[in-house]
Amino acid sequence: MNKLSPADLDKMSKAPSDKPKDWIKVGLSSCGIAAGADEVFNFFVEEVKKRNLQIEIKKCGCAGMCYAEPLVEVNVEGLPSVIYGSVNKDIATKILEKHVISKMLVNDYIFEVLI
Amino acid sequence: MYTKVILVKDTDLKREDKTREFYTRLLDYLREASLHEQIQVVRVADIGVYDQGLVVKVLPDKVTYINVQDTDVKKIVDAILSEGKVIEDLVFKPKAKQHRIVLRNCGKIDPESIDDYIASGGYLALKKVLGELGQLKLIDEIKLSGIRGRGGAGYPTWMKWNFAREMNSAEKFVICNADEGDPGAYMDRSVLEGDPHSVIEGLIIAAFAIGASKGYFYIRAEYPLAVERIEKAIKQAYDYGLLGSGILGSSFNLDIDIRLGAGAFVCGEETALISSIEGKRGTPHPRPPYPSVKGLWGKPTVINNVETLANIPVIIAKGGKWFAQIGTQTSKGTKVFAVTGKVKNSGLVEIAMGATLREIVMDICGGTLSGKPIKAVQTGGPSGGVIPEELLDTPVDYENLQKLGSIMGSGGMIVMDDDDCMVDIPKFYLGFCVEESCGKCAPCRIGGFQMLGYLKKISEGRGIPEDLGQLRRIAQAMQKASLCGLGQTASNPVLSTLKYFEDEYNEHILNKRCPAGKCSSLITYTIIEDKCKRCGICFNNCPVKAISGSKEEGYSIAQDKCIKCGQCFDVCKFKAINKK
Repeated sequence: MNKLSPADLDKMSKAPSDKPKDWIKVGLSSCGIAAGADEVFNFFVEEVKKRNLQIEIKKCGCAGMCYAEPLVEVNVEGLPSVIYGSVNKDIATKILEKHVISKMLVNDYIFEVLI
Repeated sequence: MYTKVILVKDTDLKREDKTREFYTRLLDYLREASLHEQIQVVRVADIGVYDQGLVVKVLPDKVTYINVQDTDVKKIVDAILSEGKVIEDLVFKPKAKQHRIVLRNCGKIDPESIDDYIASGGYLALKKVLGELGQLKLIDEIKLSGIRGRGGAGYPTWMKWNFAREMNSAEKFVICNADEGDPGAYMDRSVLEGDPHSVIEGLIIAAFAIGASKGYFYIRAEYPLAVERIEKAIKQAYDYGLLGSGILGSSFNLDIDIRLGAGAFVCGEETALISSIEGKRGTPHPRPPYPSVKGLWGKPTVINNVETLANIPVIIAKGGKWFAQIGTQTSKGTKVFAVTGKVKNSGLVEIAMGATLREIVMDICGGTLSGKPIKAVQTGGPSGGVIPEELLDTPVDYENLQKLGSIMGSGGMIVMDDDDCMVDIPKFYLGFCVEESCGKCAPCRIGGFQMLGYLKKISEGRGIPEDLGQLRRIAQAMQKASLCGLGQTASNPVLSTLKYFEDEYNEHILNKRCPAGKCSSLITYTIIEDKCKRCGICFNNCPVKAISGSKEEGYSIAQDKCIKCGQCFDVCKFKAINKK
């Protein structure tokens, strides 16, 4: 890996990301993993491959809502980005089928916070 | 395709949940008006507002309406369609809001990717420091920001840095104190796991400020994931030339290593931490000399807490003046609290200093889980105190909490309701301090042990009124004569509960009664004959066979055999077990 110069750093922080716009983030800190986020993350990775969906599955840290782990944030074009809480494989399936494919938010599992 | 989304949630806990009912009503209305393909209605699990009746939030407008009535449906839908119109008398104006500086990237970026951190503006503060500011202007900026140490004591960060900078020494060190040990506090862990590069950047800037060429992360070994992520992040920073020699093309060099703490609470105290890194027994030393003068290996050393360091890049990027606008007169910026205990939404809360405890616990965390009233809030872990419900309107800052007999501490906040006993709580914390006392100085070693003895005696119903005086005397002696912060503050939980809940102590001593029903020696379980349905479930569940009888004759508890585990009380479906 090449050492960065100050100019490289500027470029990297301003570069528009060419990654797909749709993504799912799974909170993988100790609190999330303890609640089963690992499993949920792997499930999303496998299912997205199996169903051949154009969505990126990402890791992130704890968003602070430890009472609702595992937390999954979903951003799909055309819908507001929302956080689902207490996600298990069943809810994860609903998220993929309803939110990602049918472009509708899933009832009963969204956790909104005021930040 | 939907253009708008309406989130609905009934936040009134006193009546039956009306979320579904209102959801159907709204849906019906939209169908009738043929708007159901334009607006989606969604039931949510949590809407971020509590005890405000039916709450509706409109996305992407982010407008929240509270105490919504069935008759408001048309008004709300009209307002949504009118683009920009807001119903003033229903709109929610939050009293308390989180303000995320330290947790800015937590839950947003991939903690294992340095590119993610850089893409969100990471390491630009370091670039600014190396390229434009230089040592003196950097320290001026930190001074201007007014930031104080987030580890608990609240010492101004710029002063620490400046003392170490002024020292003439060929070798200097910086240390990140990640030995988070307070029971119930885990914000440092979350920052290390969720945004490790922000702490590394803060540490590099601190090293530059004082002219250190070697830094350490002192992380407790109980945080394996945090250690793993910091290790990975350090390696990535080396690869990018953000650590090592000639950082970002400048002449500044810094190497960072990790040292693991073996789990001693006292090693979070800076002089004990230094001993531990040096490979000695982790015991504290008298100060002065302070570490900034004579620290690790006898060289000037700056030790900063994880949260303090995570603030530094933002202060540099946005300016000290910007940071100083947030918070109160004496305490600037934000504080992250780990709110746990009997609270509905346990988790991390970052608020601007000056928000009140009530706002944190009631408005942000949604009050108690049980719905029972709050009895007290404990801050500062084993070094802090208990703040009663009447004083929850106190704005949070270093001075105010100290005035109340507690401390800011590292940021643990434990919410207690009527089921928590104010003799049992200090007993727990003191027990922790007695276990963790290093034993070097007598006031802490003996004082803590003695106080714990008195608390045990009181909780077992053998207390006498004179015990309270003795507790106060020992507590004051410990505060004055202990060598380090552990002993000096270990009596805070006892003194604060004595100050605010002396009645409860007296109830234990004079009437041999524990009002919270917590102290097992002072409670008895009996079966209320009138309510008992003779189902026998208590009989089957008693682990020591203290319950005798049969389905025909009824049951009774033999007090001499009862171990007061409360199993019968928990399993009885008819509330036929009396606990008092």
